[in-house]
Amino acid sequence: MEKRLIKKEALAGIAKRIAEDVTVYAPVRVEENVLFKVLEKGEEPLFTYQNSKNAPKNFFFPRSEVMLRYTRTPKGVEFTAEELFARDGVLMGARPCDARSFVLLDMLFDQEKYKDPYYIEKRNRTTVVSLACAKPPYRECFCTSVGGHPVDDKGADVLITDIGDVFLVEFVTPKGEKLLKYFGDQKADAASEEKKAAVAAAAEAALTWKIATHEVKEKLDRNFNSPFWDGIHKKCLACGTCTFLCPTCHCFDISDEMKYDDGRRLRNWDSCMFPLFTKETSGHNPRPTQKERWRQRVMHKFSYYPENFGAIACVGCGRCVQSCPVNIDIRKIVAEAMELA
Amino acid sequence: MENIEKKMREEARRLLEEKRVDVLIGYEAGTLPLTATPCFITAPEEAERLVWNRFCNHNLAKYVHDVISQHRNSQKRVKPEDRKKKVVGVVARGCTTRSIVIHLQERQYGRDEVVIIGVPCTGYADRRKVSQALGGEAVLEGALEGDVIRAVTEGGEKKIAVADVLADNCRTCRFNNPIISDVMAGEAAPPMNPEAEYDEVTAFENLPIEERWAYFVKEMGKCIRCYACRQACPSCYCPVCFVEQSRPAWVGISDDPSDTQVFQIMRLYHMVGRCVDCGSCVSVCPMGVDLRKFLKKLDKDAFELFQNRAGSSLEDLPPLSRHRENDNEDFIYHPEIGGHNT
Ligand code: SF4
Ligand code: SF4
Ligand code: SF4
Ligand code: SF4
Repeated sequence: MEKRLIKKEALAGIAKRIAEDVTVYAPVRVEENVLFKVLEKGEEPLFTYQNSKNAPKNFFFPRSEVMLRYTRTPKGVEFTAEELFARDGVLMGARPCDARSFVLLDMLFDQEKYKDPYYIEKRNRTTVVSLACAKPPYRECFCTSVGGHPVDDKGADVLITDIGDVFLVEFVTPKGEKLLKYFGDQKADAASEEKKAAVAAAAEAALTWKIATHEVKEKLDRNFNSPFWDGIHKKCLACGTCTFLCPTCHCFDISDEMKYDDGRRLRNWDSCMFPLFTKETSGHNPRPTQKERWRQRVMHKFSYYPENFGAIACVGCGRCVQSCPVNIDIRKIVAEAMELA
Repeated sequence: MENIEKKMREEARRLLEEKRVDVLIGYEAGTLPLTATPCFITAPEEAERLVWNRFCNHNLAKYVHDVISQHRNSQKRVKPEDRKKKVVGVVARGCTTRSIVIHLQERQYGRDEVVIIGVPCTGYADRRKVSQALGGEAVLEGALEGDVIRAVTEGGEKKIAVADVLADNCRTCRFNNPIISDVMAGEAAPPMNPEAEYDEVTAFENLPIEERWAYFVKEMGKCIRCYACRQACPSCYCPVCFVEQSRPAWVGISDDPSDTQVFQIMRLYHMVGRCVDCGSCVSVCPMGVDLRKFLKKLDKDAFELFQNRAGSSLEDLPPLSRHRENDNEDFIYHPEIGGHNT
């Protein structure tokens, strides 16, 4: 594996240089929020941020995406496949939890049985440069409880770690190595690797919330009909904040929009928290109240995903914990589920 | 505030003990520092969980409506003679009671279905302002000491005066004491600063139209259509929101900016004479969209044109719920005469 050292101040410049050649997605301060967005000319990327408000999944799985277009003509309806929108891009500065979310999303969108061309095309053409959490940014972080780590290269093509005075840059995959030319030629020595190991150990120790989340599946499966589910949802507003900010939530809904004779078929994010979720055309909804919808949210992440793909569908980023307007804390729910028989 | 909290717990306990309410909605401490969160209690001993402090930001009237309407729906399949009434107790400050007044005026439930523990309010802390005052640093530990928030962050300990981080709606609140209540958990609170209520709106009104439109476009551009604003609002209680209707589809659900603007304009207009400026929609919005500017504008119009302040008295019906021969109508556009406010 190629490894380089760069000056910390150099990273923003490197991002801007890459942006001259391909599209760069980077964290940018927009008023009060730090958001991942396409880096425009003259815009300053921010690499001293904690984590972004929105998860970067948007670049592979946009909130709205046109799948096909059609036109009503006297001869019938004509369909045109939407050109797969994709450009070569580099996602700069994703946190390890967010980078790991791509591995989890790949399991669904790029599986043997189903291949999602819209997602795969964008994913293949994007290089992920991740920025390790030398210090876990929030008290709400719990990546190690769900199989991640603050200094982790899963899902990353390049991993950058703050090892004190400089950044250690590791080119994890061949795709990542293509970016070598932007990162100078100061090779990393053995000492910097030792430093990285120390940073990783300290970061792990700094995480305050730890629980053996993988053991919860069994409990959940046994308690599908438990009164446990009666309490969680009561104060839930049924908004989409938690799922829209979540890096791993991926439910979508397909709808058609017509203007005069022109129509487009769109795929939009859906949310298990919305009352319309899984409502059928007949009017029947197998998940009629917020109780069943909340059970779905927990089961999907901590039981069904492990069952289908062998991994928990939560990366422990803490976004839902921080941003839920009524403080429904998924960590607390999991901890309480562990106490079930 | 400690006294109000104590009294509130006592009253809550009594209501549950005497079975005067089936469920009581109040606030409890959150899992994150410097937060409070809505809670539902049904047993007298749970009253000890209740808190009343500067972090109680939600308008709980939303839940009163939800609980009663869900219960009423569930009773539809019960024989009329076997139907049971569900009585909801609620901890309510000024704006919460205004929302209850609106519900009552709009005949959403009866006065006998809700028992109000009125709390005098001196305003809540805006979590965004707290975060800004801390330079965005994560709060490791926090506590409220009188009117001062003590927060420990990586950078050390900081003290913030609550007065400096009050929510905008609280600063200029006109009705910080309950409009209606069944029991009061304390003496009336001193007034806030209602004279300044429309200062920001007036300043906004005086901007050139292009700037106002640009501001609207910019703010709505941040919206991710999570609908937290709608979901948190006690006045947004339609069983099926226009956004979710599909025959006809009034507004597209994609991220097309004009669809988002239409959603927002329609929601805003549904709030005319019905918004109590509780700030819930603003505080829940994950993206920090400035909804209040536009809500306040409509509120000002409703007051200036119809002399109505939403939910300020049971007798004064909202402008869109009543008919008056001599209602002001010169804002209605007439092709020959023109119209006011165009
Ligand atoms: S469930 Fe919450 S903590 Fe887990 S990945 Fe999603 S937003 Fe992050
Ligand atoms: S963010 Fe909170 S209130 Fe909104 S749907 Fe999720 S859990 Fe419910
Ligand atoms: S629109 Fe916002 S401020 Fe007005 S009543 Fe609804 S939640 Fe409260
Ligand atoms: S809460 Fe904010 S982001 Fe969500 S729909 Fe309302 S304005 Fe948009």
